[in-house]
Formats: sequence, C-alpha cells, structure tokens
Amino acid sequence: MARTRKQEIDRGVVVFAFNSSKYNYVEMAEYCARRAKAFLDLPTTIVTDEESAETITYDFDNVVIVEPDKNNIREHQVWINKGRYQAYELSPYEETLVLDVDYIINSDKLLKTFDFSDSFCCHNRTEMLMYPEAPQEYLSSYSYNSLWATVIMFKKSERAKQIFEALEMVQNNYDHYANIHSFVGGIFRNDYALTLALKIVNGHSEVLSDYIPWNLVHVGKNTSVYADALDVFDCKGEDFNTKFTVMFDHWKNSKMRKEYTMIKDMDFHIMNKDLFEGIMNG
Amino acid sequence: MDTKTLIKDAKARFSHNSAKAYLKEKFNSKLIIAEQGGLWRADAQTIALLSSLSNQFTETTVLIDTFDNPVEVEIASLLESLTTLYNNVMTEWYAEWQELENKR
Repeated sequence: MARTRKQEIDRGVVVFAFNSSKYNYVEMAEYCARRAKAFLDLPTTIVTDEESAETITYDFDNVVIVEPDKNNIREHQVWINKGRYQAYELSPYEETLVLDVDYIINSDKLLKTFDFSDSFCCHNRTEMLMYPEAPQEYLSSYSYNSLWATVIMFKKSERAKQIFEALEMVQNNYDHYANIHSFVGGIFRNDYALTLALKIVNGHSEVLSDYIPWNLVHVGKNTSVYADALDVFDCKGEDFNTKFTVMFDHWKNSKMRKEYTMIKDMDFHIMNKDLFEGIMNG
Repeated sequence: MDTKTLIKDAKARFSHNSAKAYLKEKFNSKLIIAEQGGLWRADAQTIALLSSLSNQFTETTVLIDTFDNPVEVEIASLLESLTTLYNNVMTEWYAEWQELENKR
C-alpha cells in the first residue's frame, strides 16, 4: 500500500525504517531525510510498517507501508532489515539513492553518484575514522570483499532490476549462500546479500563503474563521535551542524590513550545506534 | 556537555595523523569528476599529461579514465575543468589543514 502525497519526481532518496523495541528508526529516518533535503535538495520516501508509521512527525514526500519480514534475530532482538530488494519496485523515482538511516549526510557529495553509472553503484571499500589501518571486511577468508548496502544509487533500468531480483533470490536462499561462502548465516546482512547479488549479475567479474570511487567512512569500535552543535529548526529556518569531534581509544602496550580529531562537511556512517541517538538528540 | 569540556575531561590528545588521514579521504573524493563520458581524478598526473598534450597542437586524445575505459576527450576543455577543480579543492584542503595543524 502506498500513500503518495506528491507527483513522481525524477530523483529522490529512499530509506527503510522499522521501529524496534530498542530503537526508534523512524526518528533516525527523519534526521536523515532532513539532511537529504538540505544538502542534496532531494525528496525522501520512507518505507515502513503500519505501527512505525504512526510515529512519523516529518513531512516525508512519500510514505510506503509494507508488511515487514520479522524473521531476523540479532542479540535476542528482532532486527527488521530484510526486504531491501523491494527498493527497486517501491521507489517512486527514476533515479534513487537508498540510504541507511544511520548515514549522516554533511555535504552534497552523494549527488555525484548519479553521474557515475547508468544503472547502479554502491561502496566497495570502507575507511574507519581514526583507524585507517582497519582491514576491509570479507564475507569469509574464502570469499569476496564485502560490498556495502549503506549507500546504493540505482537508475530504473533492466540491469538495476536484475540486481534487486538477485538480491531477493539471495535473501530467500541466504543459508545456502552462507554455506557456500563460509560465513555465519544465522543473521541476515544486506551487505553480504548485495555482494553476492552483484557478483551473480556480473558473472562473478568486477565492473568498476558499480563502485562509488571513494571510501564509505565508518565510525568503528572504540570510537565516539560528538556533534559540536545541535541542528536547529525554528521559525527562522534550519541550521544543520556539520562539525563533529571524533574521539578514539588508542590502545598500545595495554595502555589506553584518548585521542581526538575534528571533522567537518564529511558524510559518515555510524553503526552504533546509541551513538547515533546521542548525535541526533545531543 | 560541550565538546571542549569533553576533550579536557578526557585528557584527550589531538591526533594529527588522524586529521591528515581524514583530510585526505575527504578531499580525494572531491577531486573526482564525471565529464565528457568518463570519470576523472583531477590529480597532478592527469593534469600534467593533458597540459603536455595541449602543447602538441592536437585537439583531442584518448585517455583511460578511472573506470579503466578508454575515452576520447577534448583536451582543452577537460584540462580547464580539471585544473579549476584541482585548484579549488587544494585551496580548501590547505585551509582546513592549516586550521587543524594549530590544534594541540
């Protein structure tokens, strides 16, 4: 069921957000959508369920209600992350950015991704803030370098459709692929499913234009990020903070030393949801 | 708690290496541009090659772009775009580097 408020627009952002007992993903999606509007000047469509939709306070351009697949458990909690393959069918846009809600937009850099490919691109490399020597993630020692579903750009095309169909197929047969590629199949991960789907569509070869030509910046372990100021929304307008202080616990010879740096106008992805909520709410 | 107090209380030391790595990551991505059907990095090597070719009285040439595709380009126009982008990004990079270099 789709509730469309505005006419179809050529470009836009799609976010998936299903609240859990622990986290308010809709609130994170609203934070993401505000920034997408401010920095990219793009409308946002939220894909969510009935229950989560009731908590929406932001004026999303589209609200798409779906029946969530709750068949994924992480740390004894339901983790609703399946169904990302539906992005192709559910997106009202000709050209779409699918973003994780915990991706913090601080620049217009993502707009460049629309110029990189006629069909699809995503990140294939990561960089950990304050931990540059962190290794890239592999599905297993016998398998591929993981791709990242955090940021996906696709244009409505036969090829993009095939990639999302392959993503659905991998999701439906995840344990089988986990067995073949020797990774833990108990918890579904979009990153791994996307890696396999793209490899299948490309005949297990590399297509360079499928990869965004810069690293996905992560906030990793032992790292905290603090916003230097809160975003301000009032009658005078909106003012978004783009300056952050990053603090890292540097362990050496069993001793820990706190180090910090300052970043500004740089997009990054926070995997730790508590940290994300801290940035969002101050 | 504001971040200055946080840094002071944690007795955290500013990491110049991390600042350098962050700036490299941020500004390298800004040096990428899609133009004339290819994807280019406005780096010293590409600019030097285009500059050298522009002195050979040829208007077009074929370059390998960052996706490893051969692309026929109009030299003067690409050189101008890449030079402008390079100058803008490097000026920004230098300014932010100076700002961070003074941190303790």
